[in-house]
Amino acid sequence: MTQPLLEVSDLRTVFATKEGDVKAVDGVSFHIEAGETLGIVGESGSGKSVTALSLMRLQRPGRIIGGKVMFKGRDLAKASEAEMREIRGQEIAMIFQDPMTSLNPVFRTGWQVSEPLFLHQGMNKAKAMAAAVGFLGKVGIPAPATRARDYPHQYSGGMRQRAMIAMGLTTAPPVLIADEPTTALDVTIQAQILDLLRNVNREFGTATILITHNLGVVAGMCERVMVMYAGKVVESGPTRDVFAHPKHPYTWSLLRSIPRLDDDVHEPLQAIDGLPPSLVDLPKGCAFHPRCPFQVDRCSRDLPPLNLVGETQLAACWVTQSGTELKRV
Amino acid sequence: MAVIHPTGVPEPDQGRAPFEGDSRRPAQSYWNESWERLRANRIGVAAGVVILILALIAIAAPLFSQLLTHFDPTRQHLVDNFRPPGHPYLLGTDELGRDTLTRLIYGGRVTLGVAALTVALSLTVGTTVGLLAGYYGRWIDDILMRIVDVFLAIPAIFLFILMSILFRPNAITLAAIIASVGWGGVARLVRGEVLSVKQRDFILAARSIGARDLRLIIFHMLPNVLPVLIVAASLGVGQIILIEAALDFLGLGIQPPTASWGNMLTNAESYFFHSSWLVVFPGITIFVTVLASNIFGNAVRDAFDPRLKQTA
Repeated sequence: MTQPLLEVSDLRTVFATKEGDVKAVDGVSFHIEAGETLGIVGESGSGKSVTALSLMRLQRPGRIIGGKVMFKGRDLAKASEAEMREIRGQEIAMIFQDPMTSLNPVFRTGWQVSEPLFLHQGMNKAKAMAAAVGFLGKVGIPAPATRARDYPHQYSGGMRQRAMIAMGLTTAPPVLIADEPTTALDVTIQAQILDLLRNVNREFGTATILITHNLGVVAGMCERVMVMYAGKVVESGPTRDVFAHPKHPYTWSLLRSIPRLDDDVHEPLQAIDGLPPSLVDLPKGCAFHPRCPFQVDRCSRDLPPLNLVGETQLAACWVTQSGTELKRV
Repeated sequence: MAVIHPTGVPEPDQGRAPFEGDSRRPAQSYWNESWERLRANRIGVAAGVVILILALIAIAAPLFSQLLTHFDPTRQHLVDNFRPPGHPYLLGTDELGRDTLTRLIYGGRVTLGVAALTVALSLTVGTTVGLLAGYYGRWIDDILMRIVDVFLAIPAIFLFILMSILFRPNAITLAAIIASVGWGGVARLVRGEVLSVKQRDFILAARSIGARDLRLIIFHMLPNVLPVLIVAASLGVGQIILIEAALDFLGLGIQPPTASWGNMLTNAESYFFHSSWLVVFPGITIFVTVLASNIFGNAVRDAFDPRLKQTA
């Protein structure tokens, strides 16, 4: 097997607090191949954003205390700050959650879109600007030459996210990380942005890591999915298999809590009981066991490792690893 | 290169006529808009013009003494001392027969020059310290801000007296002395702004495309802090002129025979009753300059932060 484009193994990122170190990312491992789309799902505080930021070493004030991020034969977790600056924007680009605040209000949008070219390819301003106009057009900004001269406040939210994507694309990076790119947008704009990301993935062959808490987005976009809970990967595998036969009770509960069109309208929505655990004080054993409808004795004692369950999926669960099927209780 | 169009959902902008026409309002930067607001404030503009004229007169001082007053600012005409305003001494003479108008014009050079230099110094130092402290945080912030606290805790007047004794002040050292008190406030102000700007996503976004610290600070932070600085600077000028005049008046600032508005008043107070013009003209000049500076400062503040005006 060839080396994957990006391989993360046992990544650990902590944040120092008064109550001690919070393990925001606790032994996360995954890989992504060139041109692939990987979804990372999980609720707020599950560590998905910090994982993404850690890949680019932007996790400050957090600290990476262990693990490897292998990219093109280099370990990014140990690369120097100067090396990381070369990687950022050139090899790995990132799109953020809130397009309203991710553009600097004092600069013209075109200038900002051209900034990676200016930084990484030593282009002069005029050339970089011309390229930026081209990319703004490619991401569907109408009249890009005129619009490039506008300030961010003259753009709508969807346009700003398009501009952010254009900025990410200018250097044709092999990896694009989209951290909840549609959370701050309304539903129709969400669909447009996702279509754009899908087309970018196809046309440029950009490997995309899509971070979201929207399972529908994952279903429509990603070949593989990774589910995180309390800083750990609890399940991963091909999207189709994970959605059809979840092997972790958390994934199972998440999927069950999505209302369906053919549901009886009088049925109450299925929610997951309890609250996400505090990362400062994780329950012993499996972090999900207090909320888990399938828990067995062992769950509160030992931490389940992430093992192959079935043919294609990895799951960290004692119940499914012992062969039990997850079914409605 | 094909344009990527979203499949499925129609793009709302596509059906419309292209935007290239003139119907759209041209892109207005924050600076343009602030400038427009400033221009609309008539009193503010008038105050600005007054300052500009005073500055131009000060810069062109030799021209005025040659063509208008025909006197040298330090040349004594002992036979003509205490001449009331008239001809040829348009604003009269002092106890040594020096022409008041010429001295006022040359004094403006010193006073306005010191004020400008002081503002420049305290902004440069204060901004640098504030940016570094706010951006890097942690121990750098602690150390720099404690230094600021120390400077702000020193009673200004004692510092001025001490410094004037240590260095015989000329325009440059005097500006440094006044700025040594002023930069602390600027540093605090800038640090506060930086702390809030730092949290905003565009800083993280700029870092994510590989910008280095220096570029983040100068390119991405500084322009966002600049409005606060401009307001602080324009509101500070009046204050600085008053401080400078006070120091000169007390004999701690610019030393005679070099004229400054402040030191022209030093001796004049003894002659107030028989030669009131010696007090009145420098006094009025200082008053008008400070008033114009403050009005202009307020106008600048209103222009750069229109929200403040509504709540005030």
